[in-house]
Amino acid sequence: MFNSEQYPFVSSDTALGEASFRPYLPLTLVYQQSSIVVSGLLDTGASVNVLPYSLGVELGYEWEQQTTALSLTGNLATYEARVILLQAVIGNFEPVRLVFAWTQATNVPLILGQVNFFMEFDVCFYRSQLKFEISPKSLPSNSSFESI
Amino acid sequence: MVSSELLSTLQGLSRTDKFHIIQVLISDLAQQETDLIKPDQSYPVWSPYDAVEAADTMLKVLEDSQSEDHV
Repeated sequence: MFNSEQYPFVSSDTALGEASFRPYLPLTLVYQQSSIVVSGLLDTGASVNVLPYSLGVELGYEWEQQTTALSLTGNLATYEARVILLQAVIGNFEPVRLVFAWTQATNVPLILGQVNFFMEFDVCFYRSQLKFEISPKSLPSNSSFESI
Repeated sequence: MVSSELLSTLQGLSRTDKFHIIQVLISDLAQQETDLIKPDQSYPVWSPYDAVEAADTMLKVLEDSQSEDHV
């Protein structure tokens, strides 16, 4: 991939060995004057990005001021969630605006999902080699997918 | 690390015994994989799969913020 960066899969529990490796991406989230360095789980099955409650508070967001409510699914369905916008800096790429479902759940990982992380970045997974490669989205050209 | 002594012993086995060892090890590995998931325990899956309404709402908020930037 053009203009790409590679990252390793990270073991979430050494006791589980090979089964525990996950594609966690280091990134910096920025809101106004605050910024935090976090690891986001690349989750192609997630419809949306998810931000745990504690990280939103750490960035300076106030729950009551976020007025757009969301209904999430799965285990997150039991928690209230609201929409927030953040700047994200990944590697040496240009900062991008990411939209998050800010959930009141605290024990959830920061999830990077289809809306809108995977709309901004192309990602290639090499699970057998425990690495993944990421690059900013490319502008449509003479589409190589036309013949598919 | 596999010791050279063990490797040497295995290589000295007959073809039948080598197949037997392979079967035992594969069975052992499969059992270990199964043991990772314990019965009577819950394993939370946080992935918001198929949250299409939430995704639609979030996209609209994002688009609105981008159009405000261009005003």
